[in-house]
Amino acid sequence: MERTVSVPLYIGAFLMSLAIFLLGIYIGSTMDSSHLASISEDVSSVSDRVASVQLLILMEGNSSAFCPVYSSELDAIDNDVEKMGYMLTYLEDEKGVFDNELKKKYFVLEAESYVLSRKVNDLCGDDSTLLINFYSNKDCGRCKEQGTEILQARDELAAGGVGVKLFSFDGELNSSVADALEAQYGVSGYPSVVIDGKTYSGFRTSDELKALIKGSS
Amino acid sequence: MEFTTLISYVIAFFSLFTLNVFILLFLKHRHEYLKRPECSGKTPTVSIVMPAYNESRYIAESIQCLFGLDYPKDKLEIIVVDDGSTDDTYKIAGSFKDSPISIHAFRKENGGKGAALNFGIKKAKGEFIATMDADSFVTKDMLRELLPYFEDPEVMAVSPAVKIRPSDSWLKELQRVEYLMILFSRKLLSFLESVPVTPGPFSMFRKVVFDKVGPFDEHNLVEDQEIALRIQSHNYKIRSSMVAEVYTEPPANMKDLLSQRVRWQRGGFRNYWRYRHMIKPEYGDFGMYSIPMQFATIGSFFSLVALMLYTFLTTPYYVRYIWFEAFGMGIDLFTFIAVFVVLLSTFFLYLAVKSFEGEKVKLRYFITFVAFYWYLMFGYNMLFLLKEVKKEAFSW
Repeated sequence: MERTVSVPLYIGAFLMSLAIFLLGIYIGSTMDSSHLASISEDVSSVSDRVASVQLLILMEGNSSAFCPVYSSELDAIDNDVEKMGYMLTYLEDEKGVFDNELKKKYFVLEAESYVLSRKVNDLCGDDSTLLINFYSNKDCGRCKEQGTEILQARDELAAGGVGVKLFSFDGELNSSVADALEAQYGVSGYPSVVIDGKTYSGFRTSDELKALIKGSS
Repeated sequence: MEFTTLISYVIAFFSLFTLNVFILLFLKHRHEYLKRPECSGKTPTVSIVMPAYNESRYIAESIQCLFGLDYPKDKLEIIVVDDGSTDDTYKIAGSFKDSPISIHAFRKENGGKGAALNFGIKKAKGEFIATMDADSFVTKDMLRELLPYFEDPEVMAVSPAVKIRPSDSWLKELQRVEYLMILFSRKLLSFLESVPVTPGPFSMFRKVVFDKVGPFDEHNLVEDQEIALRIQSHNYKIRSSMVAEVYTEPPANMKDLLSQRVRWQRGGFRNYWRYRHMIKPEYGDFGMYSIPMQFATIGSFFSLVALMLYTFLTTPYYVRYIWFEAFGMGIDLFTFIAVFVVLLSTFFLYLAVKSFEGEKVKLRYFITFVAFYWYLMFGYNMLFLLKEVKKEAFSW
């Protein structure tokens, strides 16, 4: 028997597969941009909530009468802000999808909620610790690791009833708020953490971080 | 692009491609794949060689079944080769008085199925050899359906539709569905002149083929597959019938099923490896598609398992706070293709089952097959790898 290679069959199968593949790429990229769009909407709506808390504090003339309202609303806001950060990180690290303008917008929101949290802490005598993590996506070998150590420390402290609120900034994104905060806290390299206003540069393990947090409060 | 992403895309594209080849083969041959060759009216002599090892439970019934074959009885002989059984197999095989077909029962030291087949073939006088398991049950028109394929002088072997009887056992029903799919795929592959196996439960050969390509390999885990590859490596044809039915007894529990499939995987892989020299254009579709596809499939399995393990182990800590959102955001090209492949395979399975009139499959078995049974392949393949790595001795 003379054997032949059914070239048209394989070309056909290849083209069919290619068509489905391209459809998949199209659907995938549409979905990625829709994820970014929905995070962008969330950033805007949480910004509004931050603004309304700020407004309330200003209107009440720094009275502590509404502290329970401030605290509970701010806890919810900080929680949402943190989650959005993870989603942005996930899209960027796992899928290579990012939007620097959205990130900058997000850092503004984060800075606002950080400032507001400090304000409410002072006003209401709240003892939760505020931790800022300055990282860089460029040439920072241990920044990712540092992020994990911070989360582990936070989770372990939370189990013991110690509250820590996290704020993370990419220091090399040319975000004006991130640059302003860095200048304020004298951050010169990455990773650096700021715990209740005090700056610690270089990598810290979760145990070291826990000790620092406990020492600060 | 990250290396892992690239690998996942390659696997996705490959799976899609193989499925599309099958779908196109079906579309191309949809009018002829169920056609039977024209009846020749010839009745050449046929020797039915039945190796048996501890088959006292089924052998009487399966020989009885052969008496019902619609074929001149004087043109048939049954050769039972008792492969050193420790039960009554030999006694039962020799106990048929006034049998309409002459039965020759032989007894030899246990030496494996390949050796028993070769022993029987040497004793056979027929122009054609039908090899048959002692727990297979043929339907009466078997030879009338298969012999016409041999009108083409290049056809050296024909395999029938090996099926499983409907039962109430979940595991057997799932295997029944699987066998229908295997049959359907084998038929489609015969259009590429690359039939992967002449199944042990029943297959027919021209006797001369064993002189031309040699006897069964006596040291093979799946000698029925090796002989098919060898016949085709000599550029002879193998045909596959969708109509002539033979019923076989499948493994009844998970443990037996697992050991059967791991044996198939190990033996299958080694056989294809042995014929890797055929990966050349002169061997047509067999060389350029079927054989490479086997290696690519095995490679995809292991890469996929490694990829899933890697993804699981390297999942960043923070994902635990957004696992629900991450699940949604994780939907990407790979997920899309995976879903597409599952849907397309389900459609292919549906086509397979629909091809067999009279084979009714209950919806619950069909769904269980698609949702769970398919994924047992990961288990077989992992065990296969484990056994190869441990260099475990071959055994049945």
